[in-house]
Amino acid sequence: MNDAGDRSEPFFIGWAKAPTGLRPFLIGVGLCLVVLFGGVGFIAAATQADPGSGRGGRGETAIGVLTYDPYPLLYVTESERYPTGHTLLLSGNAKFGVQDRASALDGRLVQVSGGPVARGDLDMLRLRNGPDGLSLVEGAPATPEVPEPVPLGRWRLTGEICDGQCYGGAMRPGTGLAHRACANLCLIGGVPPVFVSTQAVAGEEFLLLADAEGGPVTDAVLDHVAMLVDVEGEVERRGDLLVFRIDPASLQVAP
Amino acid sequence: MSVKYVPVQWNPNKYVYDAVLLASVVLYIFVFLELGTAAADVTQPINGAIVRMRAFGSCAFLMLSVILAIGPLARLDRRFLPLLYNRRHFGVMTFAVALTHAVYVLGWYFAFSPTDPLVALLTANTAYGQVLGFPFEVLGIAALLVLAILAATSHDFWLSFLSPPLWKALHLLIYPAYAAAVAHVALGYLQDATNPAFALLFGGAVLTVGALHLAAWLRAPAEPTTADDWVMAGDAGDIPDGRAIVVRISPTERAAVFRNGRTLSAVSNACAHQNGPLGEGRIVYGCITCPWHGFQYRPEDGCSPAPFTEKVPTYDLKLEGRTVLVRRTAHPPGTRVEPTPLPEDVA
Ligand code: FES
Repeated sequence: MNDAGDRSEPFFIGWAKAPTGLRPFLIGVGLCLVVLFGGVGFIAAATQADPGSGRGGRGETAIGVLTYDPYPLLYVTESERYPTGHTLLLSGNAKFGVQDRASALDGRLVQVSGGPVARGDLDMLRLRNGPDGLSLVEGAPATPEVPEPVPLGRWRLTGEICDGQCYGGAMRPGTGLAHRACANLCLIGGVPPVFVSTQAVAGEEFLLLADAEGGPVTDAVLDHVAMLVDVEGEVERRGDLLVFRIDPASLQVAP
Repeated sequence: MSVKYVPVQWNPNKYVYDAVLLASVVLYIFVFLELGTAAADVTQPINGAIVRMRAFGSCAFLMLSVILAIGPLARLDRRFLPLLYNRRHFGVMTFAVALTHAVYVLGWYFAFSPTDPLVALLTANTAYGQVLGFPFEVLGIAALLVLAILAATSHDFWLSFLSPPLWKALHLLIYPAYAAAVAHVALGYLQDATNPAFALLFGGAVLTVGALHLAAWLRAPAEPTTADDWVMAGDAGDIPDGRAIVVRISPTERAAVFRNGRTLSAVSNACAHQNGPLGEGRIVYGCITCPWHGFQYRPEDGCSPAPFTEKVPTYDLKLEGRTVLVRRTAHPPGTRVEPTPLPEDVA
């Protein structure tokens, strides 16, 4: 049974004028609603996490030796922005890699041009479309020198697998689970995957990922992108870049 | 209680209601985009598109939580009933805000890639077997689809087309939709929010909605004491003039016993419009008036006055001393039952 309530309590009927007795209450509720929305909006926005220091920049040009595996890289030999011997990750515009254009230029001296993204030690160039972005340097030696890989041993590391482009600052934030599908799309499109380690390895926090044989590893890591994972593999230095040749079977969500 | 359907039946109360709603939503988005984000502690600015998807997404979630709080609040305190009156506009607005969120997500996270955005939405992440890393987007899509269906069928045309019980059942989908939205946020943005403030706001909203439903459920009328076919409703003297007491006839059925001057009449507690609780209404101008949207019924036969055509079932009543008894079997909607005079000793 319900109590029938107080007889004098005002009764609201939608199609009639609101009873005067109820008005102060309703005005109060309306004000509370407005304050609630304003307050929650402010707190939710003001406490957003820092997306990090990654940032993009204006067009840059560099000359260097391109290597194709596991992902297109450039060992800089000549550039205004980058020191000689620096290693750049290469990708295309938006969520595209440059594998199609780079495959014929493995080991050759090339000129690249595009938009840089940079975060800490990570430098990536998002190449312009067509030969403007990537072209062979005419008259250069057919087999220029590239630094030999230096093995740094076997490591078990904890960290996050990201697409190098978004992590580098093409998107802010470009990490985390909310961004996961976007990261996967970049990786599927050919953007190099990077491992952002919670612990520094030989002074570096990010490593380019490869499979155990040093080839591309994208398909094997897609289910473990954008979250904290543990993975084992060989670390090697190429130029000033670390490459993490992982054993995908050892991937597991970090406890 | 309309004889014909118009796109929206406006009246001053709805204008005020919608104005307050719109003001709240506009304020939320403005504060989020302009003031809150400027106050965030960041090394490099967050992308505008990402800020916008967060603003609209969190606003839609807050709106949905408030909508779901209105029902139990109105049960616990009748002064909240006016909020229920125009809840459908609230729902439609929530759909619009949630859709804006989805459009920003699609146009940013799922754009600029070799894969078509809509295909990418379903193929970029297929880790359905994982909890962490689950493609939480599909949960958001499910909630959005339900909101779309509810918004599209919110008009009274659909109510009469589908019949109130079916319509009501359809609109109960809002609960699974809310559950999906909760999981969508919990497996997505919540995982990336490093500051506990968001978790507190989010958890607070979900807990409030849950606690209010629990409290309202605990307040529901208890199973009545029964004498064969007759169900005891209470003491005739406890019913104020123009008001009702509600009695549970079966687990799914309730009757409202109204006092109209010196007579008593019993009708179904479920309004023919959207199953509103008639027993929480009043007799206005000689008619039982639903507390939700003001549909009216004559106490003696459960019919809406002409030109309206809605009807609710009626029940036989009898008195044993001052105790009111209601017969379990209802009469078909609109059946006239002679009102029962109040006992002499009831003032
Ligand atoms: S439910 Fe809408 S008027 Fe009763």
